[in-house]
Amino acid sequence: MNIQEYISSGIVESYVLGLADEAERAEFEQMCALHPEVRAARETFEIQLEQHVMAGAVAPSANLRETILGQVFTEQHVQTNGHSTRASQPAKIFALPSAMRYVAAAAIILLAGSAVLNIYYFNRYREYSRRYDQLLAQQTELVKSNNVMQTKLNSYQNTIAGLTDTGMSVIKMMGKAAPSSPAPASMAMVYWDTRSKDVYLMANNLPMPAAGKQYQLWAIVDNKPVDAGMIDMDKAHVMVKMKNIPRAQLFAITLEQAGGSPTPQGPMYVMGKV
Amino acid sequence: MLKNKDNKAFAYLYDHYSAALNTIILQIVMDAELANDVLQEVFVNIWRKIDQYDTTRGRLFTWMLNIARNSAIDTLRSKGYQNSRKNQSIPDNVDTIQASDVSLPGVDTIGLRKVLEKLKDEQRVLIELAYFKGYTHEEIAEMEKIPLGTVKTRIRNALIQLRGYLN
Repeated sequence: MNIQEYISSGIVESYVLGLADEAERAEFEQMCALHPEVRAARETFEIQLEQHVMAGAVAPSANLRETILGQVFTEQHVQTNGHSTRASQPAKIFALPSAMRYVAAAAIILLAGSAVLNIYYFNRYREYSRRYDQLLAQQTELVKSNNVMQTKLNSYQNTIAGLTDTGMSVIKMMGKAAPSSPAPASMAMVYWDTRSKDVYLMANNLPMPAAGKQYQLWAIVDNKPVDAGMIDMDKAHVMVKMKNIPRAQLFAITLEQAGGSPTPQGPMYVMGKV
Repeated sequence: MLKNKDNKAFAYLYDHYSAALNTIILQIVMDAELANDVLQEVFVNIWRKIDQYDTTRGRLFTWMLNIARNSAIDTLRSKGYQNSRKNQSIPDNVDTIQASDVSLPGVDTIGLRKVLEKLKDEQRVLIELAYFKGYTHEEIAEMEKIPLGTVKTRIRNALIQLRGYLN
C-alpha cells in the first residue's frame, strides 16, 4: 500500500476520533514516525476537527468555572503537600528531586561506611574479648598460687611460732634410736605443747614412702602404742598439727599402709624419748 | 507550562476549551446537568494526566477531546447514572430542566452532529453507535447483523465523507 492510499483510507480520521483499535493505533503511530506526510495529514485533520468543534461550541454555565478550577487547585495543593495517595502519576516516582538523590546517595554511603565500621569493631571486640579471657585465666592462676603461698607462709609462721614458743617441749626422734631402722639417718621432731597437750610434727629427714605406704606417728603410753596421726610428706618441713596426746613416754614413726593401722605393723623408722 | 501544573495556564486551558469539550459531552450524554458533572471530571482528569500527554501522538485538543468523549460514554453506560436518574427528586430537577431546554435543542445543529446529518442513514447509524455511544466494531456488527468487515468499511467511508463536510 502506498502512503497516499494509506492516508486516504480513513485511518487518519479513525485514529484521531478514537475509533481505531489497538493494532490500528500502533500501526498508525509507527507510520507517523516513519512518514512525515502521514503525520502532516493527521495534523491537518486535527486542526480541521478542532476548528469545527470550537466553532459554535456551547459554553458550560459560568459558575462551573469556579467549581472546577477550585477543585483542581485544591487537588494540586494537596498533591504538593505530599498528602495525595493517588497512584495516577507513575512517572513521578522516578523523578526524584536532585536534592533527594544526593540525600539517597549520602545515605547509601553512610550505610556502607557503617557496615565497614561494624566489621572493624566486631573484630576489635573479638580480639579484646580473647585478651580479657586470657587475663581472667592469668588472674585466677595468680590468686591460686597466692593462696598456696599464703598457706605456706601461714604454716611457716606457725612453725616459727612453735619453734620459738617456750611452752613447747621438743622430742628429737632419731633413726639410730630405733631398733633396726631401714634408714638410720632418718630424723623427725615432735613438738609437744605442755599446756594444751597438742602434738606437732616436723619430718626433717624421712625417705619418701613407696606408693600405697604412709608414715604414722605413735605415742607410746605405758608400753602401748597410741595412734598420734598420719604424716603428710607434702608438709615435711613445716610443723604439722597431729593429735592431742595427754601422756606419753616415747614417740615413734612406722611405715604403714596408706591411711594408717590401728596398731603398728610396719618397720619403725625413728624413735625418741620424752 | 501545563506540565508544570501552572494554575494560570490551566485557567487559560479551561477558558479556551471548556465550551468545545462541553459540547461533545452534551452531544453524548444529552443532559445538561450530567454534562456539568462529566466536564468537571474531565478537567480533573486532564489535570492529573497532563504528564501522560504525548505530543508525538497528536495535538493537545485531540487528547482532551478523547478524554471528554470517553468520560461521557463511561458515564452514559454506568449503572450509577441510570440509578441516579430514577432517584432524581423533583425540586432538584427544576433548574436542570430549564438548562436542558436552553442548551439541548441546539446541540444537534452544531459540531460533529451537524455534519452527521449529511450522511446517508446507514452511515449515520454506524457513526452514532461507534462515536457517540462508544460501541466497538464487533458490538455494532452483532447489533446491526452486518459482517464485521462491512462495519469497518462503512465506518471508514463515513469518516472520509465527514471530513469532507468539516470545511
